[in-house]
Amino acid sequence: MARHVVGKVSEVHPGERRIVEAEGRSIGVFNIDGAFFAMRNSCPHQAAPLCLGAIKGMTMPSKPGEYIWARDGEILRCPWHGWEFDIKTGRSIFNPHRMRVKSYDVTVEQHLVDAEEDESVETFPVSVEDGWIVLHV
Amino acid sequence: MVATATEQSVNTGGRVGIVDCDVHPSPANMDEIREYLPMPWRDRFGGGGRGFFGNPVHGSRLDSVPPGGGPAGSDPDFLRTQLIEEFGTAYAVLLPRAFCNVHPDPDMGTAIAAAYNDWVADKWLSKHNADGVFKGSITVNHHDPHAAAREIERWAGHPHFVQVMTDSGARAPFGQRQYYPIYEACERNNLRFAVHPGTDGMGINVQPSPGYPTHYIEWHTCLSLNFQSHLVSILTEGVFERFPGLGITLTEGGVSWLPALMWRLDAEWKALRSEVPWMTKAPSAYLRDHVRLSSQPLENPDDSKQLLQVFEMMDAEHILMFASDYPHWDFDSPTHAFPKLPDALRKRIFSTNAREWYGLPAENDIP
Repeated sequence: MARHVVGKVSEVHPGERRIVEAEGRSIGVFNIDGAFFAMRNSCPHQAAPLCLGAIKGMTMPSKPGEYIWARDGEILRCPWHGWEFDIKTGRSIFNPHRMRVKSYDVTVEQHLVDAEEDESVETFPVSVEDGWIVLHV
Repeated sequence: MVATATEQSVNTGGRVGIVDCDVHPSPANMDEIREYLPMPWRDRFGGGGRGFFGNPVHGSRLDSVPPGGGPAGSDPDFLRTQLIEEFGTAYAVLLPRAFCNVHPDPDMGTAIAAAYNDWVADKWLSKHNADGVFKGSITVNHHDPHAAAREIERWAGHPHFVQVMTDSGARAPFGQRQYYPIYEACERNNLRFAVHPGTDGMGINVQPSPGYPTHYIEWHTCLSLNFQSHLVSILTEGVFERFPGLGITLTEGGVSWLPALMWRLDAEWKALRSEVPWMTKAPSAYLRDHVRLSSQPLENPDDSKQLLQVFEMMDAEHILMFASDYPHWDFDSPTHAFPKLPDALRKRIFSTNAREWYGLPAENDIP
């Protein structure tokens, strides 16, 4: 599994995303309340650039005529057809078991391990108070 | 029999690539349209669409907003990058959304239609069309058929207008005789007549369901009801007997309802033929000569072989034409919306059928 440095934590604020190229794939990295999640930037439906979609909440399952808005900031809507995906898992809302997008692990690291193997990393100074967002592809 | 290009026209140097039968250009702002509107309409025109039943999520692809700003579909160069070049599109048939049929004042509706036609002709079919990739649709207000016919005549002989178009929202089904001035003008000028959703239940138009549905999901799903009603009306009123050169393009009205509707109508005709004695053959037998359906929004069952079966039932090989509906939210990607098709069928749906229908040059291969 390859490690890809996305940037500093301070560069991707809560509610924001950054789209990166890693291992030949376009991947979106999302900050939800300080925790980071990543998913493939391609909708499993018609290959739209999924991670350009709106970050929203969702109407939760409810009784007819009742609206329960929740999970603000955790739901990604595809920019084409509006399909909803759970940013934390990559699973779709309408069929989480069968319709999902590939998700990736993201860690926040204060010290970059194996930095010498990645020349691009050496241009970034490491600081303790502002960690690195590392994507595992 | 509708005249179509023949096999002999292969190798005539047409643009290589697919044909997209439903692409929506948009004015950058309403002043682009007002520029073409005479007074008093210029002051009264406020733009705007259908008023309600807006998509609750988003109406256009979020990534279709031009980098320089403006509405989706308003920048010809960006549309070329994102659609024409991306998918190897040889010809894109443009259908602007004037919504001119919502207005109770027929003169206002006709003036708006004319302004959109001038705008499309200038901006999209002339200034940004050196290669001829853009083909146009003449917008008409079907509430004033005589004025609509005059508008069609105004554009007769234009090199890039390939059809006349109107909204499926109407006060009466399209087979009825008040519309015949439009069909006569289409036939005389060898232009197809396209129907596109947009003002169903809006303004002065009837909603094709028992009353108004509550939600966009209902309204949008049931747009195909209006298309079914119009088609049954056109067939049974004998429109194609009266106008043997007329061809109707059913755009964005759905696809897979067609076989079942035709089975039912054919069955009714066997018993009730005497009521419509001008029909010289079964209703379904008129389709190949006179009717085409554009594919988007293509219904897609979980088991794609069922869709292929529907294609066979409906004679898709001859009457289905690819459309993307760019830049709208339910865009069908040329590379992902369809299941794997046999090469010959794919070529007909994505290229040949539309080239023959609109009299566009043929080409050998789609990329």
